[in-house]
Amino acid sequence: MKRLMGILAVAASALLAFPLQAQTPRYGGDLVFPVPSEPPSYDGHREETFGLIHPLAPFYNTLLRVDPNDPGGTKPYPSLAESWTVSADGRTYNFKLRRGVKFHDGSAMTSKDVKASYDKIIFPPAGVGSSRKGQYAVVEAVEAPDAYTVRFKLKYASGSFIASLLSPYNFIYSADILAKDMHWYEKNIMGTGPFTLVEHVKGSHVLGKKNPDYWDKGKPYLDGFRAIFIRSSSAQVAAVRGERAHIQFRGFTPADRDSLKAALGDKITVQESAWDCILLVAINHEKKPFDDKRVRRALTLALDRHQASTALSRIAIVKSVAGVQVPGTPFATPPEELNKLAGYWTDIDKSRAESRRLLKEAGVPEGFSFTFTNRGIPMPYEPLAVWMIDQWRQVGLNVKQEVIEPAAYYGTIRKGDAQVFMDFQCGYIVEPDLDMYKFLSADRNPANYGRYTDRVLDDLYDKQSRATNVEERKKLIRAFEKRLLDEEAHYLMTLQWHRIIPHSSKVKGWQVTPSHYLNNTLDVVWLTQ
Amino acid sequence: MAASKETLEGLAQAESPRARWLQAVLDFTWQRPLGAIGAVIIVVMVLVALTAHWLAPFEALATDYGAMLAAPSAQHWLGTDAYGRDVYSRMIFGSRTALIVGLGASFIGATLGALIGVASAYFGGRIDLIVQRIMDVLISFPLIILALAVVAILGTGLENVILAIAIPMIPRCARVVRSSALAVREMPYVDAARAAGFRDSRIVLRHMLPNVMAPYLIMLTAFLGQAILLEASLSFLGLGVQEPVAAWGLMLRGAAVEFAETAPWMAFFPGLAISLAVFAFNLFGDSLRDALDPRLRTQ
Amino acid sequence: MLHYIIKRLLLMIPTLLGVAVLIFVLMRVVPGDVVEARYLTQGSQFLSQDLMNIERKKLGLDQPIWKQFTSWMGGLARLDFGLSMWTGAPITEEIKLRFELSLQLAIMATVVATLLAIPLGIIAAVKQDTWVDYAVRIFSIAGLAMPSFWLGILMILAMLILFKWLPPMVYTPFWVNPWENLAQLIWPALAVGYRYSAVATRMMRSAMLEVLREDYIRTARAKGLWLKLILTRHALKNAMLPVITVIGLEFAFLMGGLVVTEQVFNLNGLGMLFVEAISHRDYTLTQALVLIVASVFIFVNFLTDIAYAWLDPRIRYR
Repeated sequence: MKRLMGILAVAASALLAFPLQAQTPRYGGDLVFPVPSEPPSYDGHREETFGLIHPLAPFYNTLLRVDPNDPGGTKPYPSLAESWTVSADGRTYNFKLRRGVKFHDGSAMTSKDVKASYDKIIFPPAGVGSSRKGQYAVVEAVEAPDAYTVRFKLKYASGSFIASLLSPYNFIYSADILAKDMHWYEKNIMGTGPFTLVEHVKGSHVLGKKNPDYWDKGKPYLDGFRAIFIRSSSAQVAAVRGERAHIQFRGFTPADRDSLKAALGDKITVQESAWDCILLVAINHEKKPFDDKRVRRALTLALDRHQASTALSRIAIVKSVAGVQVPGTPFATPPEELNKLAGYWTDIDKSRAESRRLLKEAGVPEGFSFTFTNRGIPMPYEPLAVWMIDQWRQVGLNVKQEVIEPAAYYGTIRKGDAQVFMDFQCGYIVEPDLDMYKFLSADRNPANYGRYTDRVLDDLYDKQSRATNVEERKKLIRAFEKRLLDEEAHYLMTLQWHRIIPHSSKVKGWQVTPSHYLNNTLDVVWLTQ
Repeated sequence: MAASKETLEGLAQAESPRARWLQAVLDFTWQRPLGAIGAVIIVVMVLVALTAHWLAPFEALATDYGAMLAAPSAQHWLGTDAYGRDVYSRMIFGSRTALIVGLGASFIGATLGALIGVASAYFGGRIDLIVQRIMDVLISFPLIILALAVVAILGTGLENVILAIAIPMIPRCARVVRSSALAVREMPYVDAARAAGFRDSRIVLRHMLPNVMAPYLIMLTAFLGQAILLEASLSFLGLGVQEPVAAWGLMLRGAAVEFAETAPWMAFFPGLAISLAVFAFNLFGDSLRDALDPRLRTQ
Repeated sequence: MLHYIIKRLLLMIPTLLGVAVLIFVLMRVVPGDVVEARYLTQGSQFLSQDLMNIERKKLGLDQPIWKQFTSWMGGLARLDFGLSMWTGAPITEEIKLRFELSLQLAIMATVVATLLAIPLGIIAAVKQDTWVDYAVRIFSIAGLAMPSFWLGILMILAMLILFKWLPPMVYTPFWVNPWENLAQLIWPALAVGYRYSAVATRMMRSAMLEVLREDYIRTARAKGLWLKLILTRHALKNAMLPVITVIGLEFAFLMGGLVVTEQVFNLNGLGMLFVEAISHRDYTLTQALVLIVASVFIFVNFLTDIAYAWLDPRIRYR
């Protein structure tokens, strides 16, 4: 079944790709794009920021990638691996590698490079940091049975293993270089990607030029690209507005979109998508009165998410009312069903009345005061906090905001002193296992800042993870969602982020997805002039 | 004109302390009209802050998602912000934050600075040398960087912002007060007091402090405007007071910048309020400095 | 004189050392470190403690504080600022481009401030207590009162509407394209220069007033403004010292203090780098930046002290 799915996915996306490519791509031109932050080091295995992906992904390939034409950003697509098969017990994956792939230094890419790269990610030697080691806990071993086959052996079958290989961070490095120096890639760039490095000027830009020996013949279309580091968002907008940059891949605000559209009209194409990032409200179960689920439910019932969706989407990068999955994706709860959950009711007066009733019942007095701790990032942390504090005020709660600097934020949260605070979840792919892991009991997941233990929830998670039938899995995810957000109200969801990319209409072949980590290889992107 | 001056002087002829005070005010007004203008603006600002609840047509926190980013109108005189909150009302309530931070920070900064300056001058010798080196270190630190570090350590919020602004002011005041205090220290009566066996603390408090009141007041008023400006800058950087508290610097941040083109009232009016307040404090401070310090009179 | 210079030079050492100790301690008191800043960013659900320990060890953050301090001091003694903890690149490389920008902006703003302050101060003094004097004072105090970021926002907005001017994307060094470079920096230089002209204008005015009180100039009063100005020129030289001091100290301040202006005009200067370095908890970079900015300040101070002593020999013996 799974084997089939992999092959089908490839075939389907190849078909889908066709109509989009109907316009004949034009060769030439340099793509210019601002990047809001600069890569700390060059090692994708070590870093966790889009500031590394945007300027550096074009220099590398990964084993698999997400189909560049899939707006959902979930379909597996071949990259350095041409195809793959899965054993009947789901514990062995064999990947057939593409032949004739060369690193920028001229050496051939073989299975030993893939093995060395994944060994570095999953089994880093002492003294080497890997950010994603924990994500591959399921992997027992990576093997290279012949030069063009790579085999992953798993400890147990996992439905989300292929999705985890789609990570845009897992650049394939040269085994020879890693053998000499495991840290070489922190300070150097050398991959198999469609572009080669010209220069990186600190505090200014990264310049890449077309790799003439790229394995995917006929690509890339661009002559090169220039990634410019611009921290200020208004300056990024100005760059696009002045037609000095084509696109910014992370996302702009609604105000920016409107001003760009007003200034440039047809010269701007806007692509939008629900964004696989969401701000959550974590409630510390160890603090009174938040140990009482009536109080937690009252907090969520006080929020008018539907009004916020219309109002806040004008001023902030949020939009859809969401549960535990990005709306519109395969496992997301349909709106009419979602609206039955506490805090999602369409009748806000009824909801607020219930909220007040619960507060009273739990013995929380009118005008009860608590501190909402927020992370010092303006967008969209600040608008969401202002909105929620006002909503809570309307059920008689007096909430003060305390803002902590981003660098100190999670360190402070981990101490467990905060009462109610903002938490963040963001992924490179929409996948229930990855998205819901966050909510497991604190002993299974150290990033559960609500500090609760809920075995029923854990159990539902494990069941859905192993479910092979899609409908069955959906049902289990619904049950998980209801328990998490309504019955126990362990965590509150704010609004799903909304990704808005207003780009120059000259840019073609780039598809927005729910993740700002995807589609940055730039091999299929081209410019009309 | 000359006649009116005589009248004013005549008015203040009576020797009651109240009249003397009145005369001082009138003299100040006459000789330094710019300072008087500043003082008037300050008085108005204080009155606005005290009566904010009556003056403001809306509550500072009242959102109205039906009237987001509305242009100035009969209902919302200066328009609304991104959450539909009345800009005029928030500006009025914002004057409280500005005054609390301005007064609090400059009082703490100038007072601690003055105490350190006087003590350093009085004790002299090695203590003076060490204290002066410490003050040198603090002064060489860029002002905003010191404030940034303090906020990073203590966190945001009103009290911490006051401290963050006050700390960099201490050495600046200490330096000025010390040089005045050095002159006082050479006066015969300080020696006399010492010879009479008075305790150090008594000499410092009773004899030296009153004599450095002029530079102290000058520094205090000079700091007031700076403190308001610094608070606005910190808030603008997200390191000052926090939403939903009404504060001018905060009103200039985020949506105000983003919507500057389509909703310029959001950025324009609070900026004007900051400028006017700082302007008034500076005008007043400048004139006060001229009036209080004869040596500096020409400056 | 030489004796005095040496004494002043020696006094700079404890101050610099104090700055070094203070920033070193401050950075370690600030909660969080570079490893947390890098990895505790997204709730990091798959994060392992090992990773953080490995990174800390690599950066030497597991060493005792005194050891970290002595090794930093050892590096400084060899004029080596070390590597940035955030990027791993040499600090000189990180700072180079930003330093150029900040230096140029500081110079340009100082020029603007001087060009404003000297004529305005002279006019205000000559026309003391007339409406001209008041207008000049209001103009300069207003500059001091407007928040620089607000002025910047208004300037950018005005230029966008009037000339469709947009702030630049990246800094173009002067030697690459002088025209473009000046076009980029002239607006922030004007905004900053106007602001910092206020104190210098005031100093200039009082220096001028002092000179105007000299007897021989009083007698020249009747003979017309021009003659008065010519006579003044000579006397002004001494009186200019406080003006020069103020301008010098402001220049030093401008090197690192333009955090907000840089943000509004999107300039990648030392101020922005400062904010970035603190928010990344990049100890080594922050320390280096503070030392550089403080050194500029202390050195300018030193120069003005020497200048005073040179003009007024009594100071040398205090």
